[in-house]
Amino acid sequence: MIAAVAKSSTVAPLLRGVSQSVPTTVKSLAPAVVLSQPQVVLVTPDRLKAVPTGDVRGRSGPCISTQVRFAHTDIAVPDFSHYRRSSSIDPKSKAKDNEENRKSFSYLVVAGGAIASAYGAKTVVTQFITSMSASADVLAMASIEIKLGDIPEGKSVTFKWRGKPLFIRHRTNEEIENERKTALSELRDPEKDEDRVQKSEWLVLIGVCTHLGCVPIANAGDYGGYYCPCHGSHYDNSGRIRKGPAPLNLEVPPYKFADEGLLVVG
Amino acid sequence: MGISNTVYNAIFKRTSTYTLAIVASALFFERTFDLATETIFEKINEGKLWKHIKHNYEK
Repeated sequence: MIAAVAKSSTVAPLLRGVSQSVPTTVKSLAPAVVLSQPQVVLVTPDRLKAVPTGDVRGRSGPCISTQVRFAHTDIAVPDFSHYRRSSSIDPKSKAKDNEENRKSFSYLVVAGGAIASAYGAKTVVTQFITSMSASADVLAMASIEIKLGDIPEGKSVTFKWRGKPLFIRHRTNEEIENERKTALSELRDPEKDEDRVQKSEWLVLIGVCTHLGCVPIANAGDYGGYYCPCHGSHYDNSGRIRKGPAPLNLEVPPYKFADEGLLVVG
Repeated sequence: MGISNTVYNAIFKRTSTYTLAIVASALFFERTFDLATETIFEKINEGKLWKHIKHNYEK
């Protein structure tokens, strides 16, 4: 440790990064080279010519400078202006003054990349999510049109919609009045009749019992609506559960009246 | 010089405005890019798409 500090001068040549020129009055005749010890070379076999023999000493090490450079003044400093920003090409221009110009270009490049990647990310996510939704052919089969004129009053008709039975019931005035009068406190799954129908004479239901998925029978049961034969659930004329094991009212699918006398379900 | 100074000080200097500018330009970029690629696609497939032959099948 101490020796290394004390002898730091020996390390100095190694740390020197610039060319050195040694002014001297004596001009060398030959270009400067590092002279090595004379070598005795075997003459006869040609391939052995290059092999040094005898007293060959290494002339390199931390204390020995093996490099001699001349100071060249005839080599022009390369012109780097092609690589420089136009705002700072003048060597006298201050960094502070052209800072905004230089930075705005860099930021613009980054922003361009960010815009492109935002677009890419959005596209990937959108594609992935749309791949989960129903395709056009499925959607085309997903709705059903029903002519209501064919269904007489007091009748419940069953259709197939999305693989499930669909009940359309043409209710009589008496049935409607009955359902409107029912108190919510009597119901297991309290829902107003007005909320379950769009037009009071037409009741649209999915015919799957909410208990275990059987198909109820129309115009049967204690309440005159639907009756599930599997475990004895009674539904009224609004499709609401009144008696039996089922926990919920019959489901109402999304539907609308497209025309006078035309119902579109789905 | 003048324009880049204004843009830098107004938008690029703060991360908030910078991000906002990126998001806003992404919207415009999306619209333009989609429109351009769609036009190119339709030009290449001229006469093959349903909307080009639709009138032949409609009464």
